[in-house]
Order: sequence, then C-alpha cells, then structure tokens
Amino acid sequence: MIRLGLRMALGRDGLGRLGLIGGAVATGVAMLLGVLAGVNAVQAQNLRYSWLNSGVTSAATGPAAKDPAWWAPRQDYFQGRSVIRIDVAPTGPSGPVPPGMPALPSAGSYYASPALTKLIATTPADRLGDRFPGRQAGVIGTSALPGPDALIIVVGLTEAEVRARDGAVRIDRIVSASPSSCDGCYIGIGGEALTLTLGVVGVALLFPLLMFVGTATRLAAARREQRFAAMRLLGATPRQVSTLATVESAVAAGLGTVAGFGLYAPVRTGLSHIPFTGERFFASHLTLTWAQIVAVAIGVPLGAAVAARLALRRVRISPLGVTRRATPRPPRAWRLVPLAAGLAELAWFVGRRPSTSDGQLLAYLSGIFVVMTGLVVAGPYLTLLGSKAMARWSRHPAGLIAGRRLADDPRTGFRAVSGLMLALFVTSVATGVIGTMVAGQGDRSDSARKLSMTSLPHDQAPGEKDLAALAAVDGVDHVQIVRYDENRGENGLPGLISCADLAALRDYGRCAPGAEVARVFSDLSAPDGVPPHWETAPVSAASLAARPALSLVVLTDGSPAAVERSRTILESAFPASRPPLTDREWNTDFARTLVQFQRLADIVVVTSLVIAGCALAVAVTGGLNERRRPFSLLRLADVRLAELRRVVALESAVPLLAVSVVAIGAGFLSAHLFLRSQLQDNLVAPPASYYALVSLGLALSLGLITSTMPLLRRVTGPDTVRNE
Amino acid sequence: MTAALRAERVSLSFGDTPALRGAEFAADPGEIVAIIGPSGSGKSTLLHCLAGILVPDEGEIRVDGQRLDTMSEADRSALRRDRFGFVFQFGQLVPELTAAENVALPLLLSGTRRGEAVKRAEKELSRLGLDGLGGRRSGELSGGQAQRVALARALAGSPRVIFADEPTGSLDSLTGEQVMDLLVGTAREQGTTVVIVTHDARVAAYADREVMVRDGRVTSPVGLS
Repeated sequence: MIRLGLRMALGRDGLGRLGLIGGAVATGVAMLLGVLAGVNAVQAQNLRYSWLNSGVTSAATGPAAKDPAWWAPRQDYFQGRSVIRIDVAPTGPSGPVPPGMPALPSAGSYYASPALTKLIATTPADRLGDRFPGRQAGVIGTSALPGPDALIIVVGLTEAEVRARDGAVRIDRIVSASPSSCDGCYIGIGGEALTLTLGVVGVALLFPLLMFVGTATRLAAARREQRFAAMRLLGATPRQVSTLATVESAVAAGLGTVAGFGLYAPVRTGLSHIPFTGERFFASHLTLTWAQIVAVAIGVPLGAAVAARLALRRVRISPLGVTRRATPRPPRAWRLVPLAAGLAELAWFVGRRPSTSDGQLLAYLSGIFVVMTGLVVAGPYLTLLGSKAMARWSRHPAGLIAGRRLADDPRTGFRAVSGLMLALFVTSVATGVIGTMVAGQGDRSDSARKLSMTSLPHDQAPGEKDLAALAAVDGVDHVQIVRYDENRGENGLPGLISCADLAALRDYGRCAPGAEVARVFSDLSAPDGVPPHWETAPVSAASLAARPALSLVVLTDGSPAAVERSRTILESAFPASRPPLTDREWNTDFARTLVQFQRLADIVVVTSLVIAGCALAVAVTGGLNERRRPFSLLRLADVRLAELRRVVALESAVPLLAVSVVAIGAGFLSAHLFLRSQLQDNLVAPPASYYALVSLGLALSLGLITSTMPLLRRVTGPDTVRNE
Repeated sequence: MTAALRAERVSLSFGDTPALRGAEFAADPGEIVAIIGPSGSGKSTLLHCLAGILVPDEGEIRVDGQRLDTMSEADRSALRRDRFGFVFQFGQLVPELTAAENVALPLLLSGTRRGEAVKRAEKELSRLGLDGLGGRRSGELSGGQAQRVALARALAGSPRVIFADEPTGSLDSLTGEQVMDLLVGTAREQGTTVVIVTHDARVAAYADREVMVRDGRVTSPVGLS
C-alpha cells in the first residue's frame, strides 16, 4: 500500500499537489530552521557578552589572577548606536585577561573592536576619538565580540582615574557565564525572553504548516474520491485508503523538508544581516545542532503524516464515492456573538486598566484570543452574507453561480481563506500596537535635539571653558545648567531652573505666574511628553548659581555633528560621570526591542501568508476538479471560458477580500482598544511597510488564484465529458 | 443447496426517502440473474446492499449462508476483495495506474506479490482480447476497452459473485454486446454467480432469470425456494 501511495504521489497527476505541499512545507521548514538557528545564535551571542560583566564579582568564574585590576563599565552612544566602554587599570603585570586581547591595556592605551576601530578612523576626532585617551594598542578579537558590528572599547587608565568612575570595582577574574544564567549581570540581552519568543515564533510557524498539510490532504482526498472509491469498491479498507493518502502527503512533506534545508541557506544569510538583538549575528553563530536537524528532518514529515491522518478522519470515502452529501444547514447570526464579545471585553477595559501586570496580561490576551476565535466562528456567516448579496445583486451569471455556490457551503468557502484572515488579524494588531508605541517612544521630531548629562558630580561645577566650548559648537542653540535641590519638593523633583531660563527654552514647560524658580526633572523631560506647569520652588533666582550643578542640558539643531561634538566635550570634561544621552537614545533600547518583535511578527505573517496562499490554491484547484463535469457541460452549452474564470475568481476573491477587510478592521480596532486602555493613547496610522506587507500577501493570494486558471481550460475540455 | 446470495425483507431509506421496502432476492451458485426495473425503482440500491456496499436498515443478507449485513466494514471490505468482482458503468479505473496495474489492484490489496499479480493480470487481459494494452492508462483506452479492463479486473481474483451495474450503459450496442458475451461466457466457464442491474432488455436477455424491482420491492419471483 505504501508502494502504491508512493507511485500515486510521484505520478504525473500527483506532481502538482506534490509541488504545492512540498513548496509550502519547504518555506515553513526553512523558516523553522532559521528560528532554531536564531535561538542558537542568541545563546552564542549572549555568551560573548559574559566578559563585559566581570565587574559583577559575585558571578566570577575561573582561577583568580595574581594582580587584580580596577574595572568600570559604561554605556556610551554614537549616532544612536550603543558603544560599550570598559575603563580598566591593571595593578600588575599578571592581571585578568579578557578574551580577544593579549592583556589588559595599560594606562594611555586602548583596545577597540574592529567596527569601532573603523569608526574612529573615519570620524573626526572631536566627534568620537577624543573621548578615548591614548593610543590604540590593538584590535579586540572576534572571540570577545557578540557580533561583527559590535562597538566595544577597553580603555586603560590610571588606578585613580578608574576608581573615580561611577560603578568601578576591583576584579581578579573574568566572568564567563552567560548573562541569562548570571545573577546580577546586566550587559547582554534578555536571552531567556528572546529564546521564549523565538520558541513561540517556531510554534507559530509549525502550526499553520501542519494545518495546511492536513487541509491539503483532506481536500486532495475529497477531490480524488472517485479513485479512492474505486479502490474501496475493490475491497480496500478505509485504513488502506487512508494510508495511501497519508503516504502521498508524507512524501510531499518529506521532499518539502529536504527542499526546506536547501532554502535554509539563503534564509541564514538573510538572518545574519538583521540585528534582531540589536547586534547582527556572526554567521558562524547561526548554526543548527545535530539534534535539531534530526528533529526537523524526522519530525516535520512525521507531523505531516499525523496531521494528514487526523484530517482524513473527517473524510469518509465509501465504495460509491463520498458519503451521500446533503446541503449543510446555513450558519446563523449567533456566530457574530463571540467576535462582539471579544471586542466588548477589550472595550470594557478602556478606563478600567487592571492594576497588576498579570491582570493586564490576562485581560488583553484573553480579549485578543476571543476576538480571534470570534473571527473564525463568524467567518462562515460573513461569507454567507457576502455571497447572498453577490447572488442577489450580480448582473452577470458568474456572480449568480459563484454567489449560490458560496451560499450553499460557506464553511468550505471560508475555510480556504481562514488562515489568511488570522495572519492579517495578527499582523494588524501587532503593527497597530507596536507602531503606535514606537512612534510614541522614539521618533518625536525633537527627541534627538536635547542632549542631557544628568549625573554631574556635585563637587565639580561646569567650568566657563567647558560652557564656552559647548556654545561654540556649530549647531548648539542653548546650554542649560540645572541646579540641585536636596529638598526635592512635593513631587520629588531634584532640579531647579530659573523661570527666565525656562521661558527662553520655550518647549520645556512653564512656571506658575509670579514664580522665580521652578522644580524640574534633571533632563527637563516632561511627563507624557506634554510641557507642564512646573512646581514653584521657594528659592530666589539669584541664589541658584551657588547651588551644585545637577545636570547639563545641551539643546542642538539635532544634527549628528552637533550632538556628537557636544557629547565628546561633555565626556572629556566629566569623565567620571555617566555619558550624556539624547531623548531618542534613552528610548532607543525599548523601541528597538519593540521593532525586533515587529520583525518576528512580520516573519510569522509572511510565512503564514505564503502557507495560507498555498491552502487557497489547493482549495481552488479542488473546487475546479469537483466541478469539471458541470463546467465542461456549460462550455459545451457555449458558456465562454472567461465567464467560468469569472465564477472561479469571484468564489475565491470575494471571501478573500471580505475576510481581509473584516480581519484588518478587527485587528486595528483591537489594537486601538488595547492602546486606549493600557496607554491612554490613540492608534497611529500604520507605516508604509504594513501596507506593502498586506498588499504583497493579497497579491500573492490573488496570483495563486489566477495561477489555477489554466487548469480550468484543461479540466473542462470536451474530453472530460466523454471520459466521464 | 445453499444460495450464493440471499436477501430477506431488506429495507433501506436515504433520509426520509425509502429506497428498498422489504425486498427479497436469491441467486444460485453459477446463476446469472438480471435485476430490472424503471429508474429510481431501487435496483442499484439492492445490488449495493447485496454487495455489502450499503448496509440495510432492516432485513438480512447472506453470502454462502454467512450474514453480510452484520459484518464490520473491514470484513465487508475483505469480502468484496476476496469473493466479489465488480463491473460498473464508469469511474472504476484508477487513472494513475496502467490497465495491467488496475487489473492487478484487487490482488495487490489482498497481499499478492506485485510480480505475480501483474502476471495474472496480463493473462486475464489476454483472455479478454486486450493483448498489448496492459501498459496503457485509462485515459488512453476507448470506452469498450476500459470496460473490458474493468471486466478483467473483476475476474482476476476468481470471485464467487460478480456484480455488474449497467455494465454496458456507456457503450454502443455492438461494444456492449461484446462485453456481455465476455462477461457471461467467462462466468459460465468459471461457475461464477453474476448479478446484473440493467434497464436494457437485450442485456437482461443474457441472464438465466430476471427479477423486477418496483418502488423498492421485488415484484417478480425471487428464485430459489
């Protein structure tokens, strides 16, 4: 039976089906392998961050060095990119040695990563190089780098200089534990969370894939009921027929898996160019373990066989053909209830946000899940409404036939596009939420203008020379010192600024009428981005100059040159303080994390769209074969082929476009309700990439429908009537 | 003598529509019986019940004295495979397979090795005048040739009973006559019982006995006592 199944799978008639199932499985497998390689790369990359956490002495591993070293890590920025800087001071020749360099740099020298070395060499020194005193002793080797573009520098200073740094500690070991398994390590990525996310993505890829194999097998079996029925007539048991159909699908899935391994090579190359974690992966980190290879190579065809077998339980092939079919009962309006309930749940939480994160998770995720379930439940009813309208209002026979056929069995018509609908819903929710949050976090037009150094040492006031140097930078509009107030006022604000200065700054809030000095945040940032009326401080403007400086805020024209020159001056003037940041850089990490999740969502969506498109093509082809005889007779009765094409196109395109509109609408509405409830924010129009993605998915699906049209001519030829 | 086939008080409905109402039927070993009647009278349904394709709502069906209507689906499949042969009007050849493979299919399903099954199939095709056509697929055969291939397949397993539902329905009269000559001739040669459903008097004339079905009931003599 297995041999016969192989014969039928690889025969002329089975090649199209083989190609379709194989192609979809190949796409899914390639993406799945990419995700697994990504999980491995995340772990490998995270391990490369370990040595940078050597200041976390409790996590120290390995033998202690004879001569300890002083160690002070800090995070700097250059044009929005993170630069990890370690200031070190060895206390003797036998100090701890990090990977990628022969020894710790002595005072007056530094080791820089290849990317940073190149950047220093190609950037004017007053924008970057002047921040790093001394000469370059060497280039940090790749064994110490999380990615090829990593900007890392280890600067050798005197012991006194390093000890004065914020967070400086004495170390005698280099940490080699991954940040994700190290208590207290803070440089690196949330490896466990990202691995979990990638795991969810993997399942999200595998699930539609197996669903598709099941659907394709069921449709193929139903389409080929006549030949399976012939076998049943001759005494083949249902189990034998089921084995036959399962072997066909498993063969296709097996070949697809092999092709997927081939397709993985370009996917891997593509992945190595995308900075999912903020850093590109080394290609050598994007590898698969033998266990993963074996699991995918065996698991996917096996999973496909099981999915096919399970799917066939719903197809009953008797020796006379499929079991006598009656028109199923039409779906009823109650099917809209779960969808309405899901949206109502999300709407109910607007203004009633749960106070705990667990409560929020439960409220929003359950709401989104109910909406998704509601869409699947409501789909057949919506298809019925659309098809009835089409049949009623159509002026062409094609519309009448297509409408009546869809109305006769809207569940089947909807099933073909249900995967696409869920993919569009998920991408609309993800794009709506993430796009709005990213827009709110990182891309305000003024977010790159303001550079703030917020941890000035209280005993070191900015000198006239430094202020003059800043003011002389081309593109710097204003330099503002915020003074420190230990009393902090009602709202705990530590900064003081004269109302005259605040008025000159314009965009950073106002004083109360008659006030002389206001309490502000150290970087003048306004809560929720709205310039406020600041609290009045009971001090005189004249007394401010005598108070210690809290922070320095430099307003620039936002040009990279002005920002980086100012930053270099500030870092050189206050080397012990934390480096200054723009608002955009404050928000960059969070925004980047969101964008990474958006990218992962995009991968799931693109793959789901491809798989859903294949399911649609299988369904269209199945529908054509099912009606080859009536269509052939219509052609003999002089109905033009173009008219039949219109019937097929309408049958597929109408549910496709209808559910797309509903899915996108429900997706954005859900996103808006979530944003209103959680962030009191309104949905921001999605970016152009969203429209491109959706258009691509719909174009692909319509293209797949169109690609089945040549089959219409072939299966409805006069020979069909004769042979039947 | 035990009847090769016997049906007693067989009733079957499709939903609210009764197809058979207490039908009676019997056929001797080696006997050729034609079931005739107008369209929609239930003659095909009776044949499907006799062949174990459909299970009656009421009544009994016995094959060589053995109850068929109480058998499991797997047992009925095995019975069809090992003891029955079928020739229907159309749609009975598997298009992916060659004529020889189609004839060999019941043998393959019952576990016969492929080489032996194909050899027996070629022999059967040769007996029915289809030499040299074993490698063709169903789409490359004429209607008469396809029907003879179906006949060869029905005979290949040396069945006890052959069920033929409108076996000449899709053929011209001359080709139909040739197919019937072969069916009846071979059956008599092998002592096979044949049950033919037809509305064609010329086909019915090949039978030893005719049974009339009307409104789901057998209205002419049933046969064996």
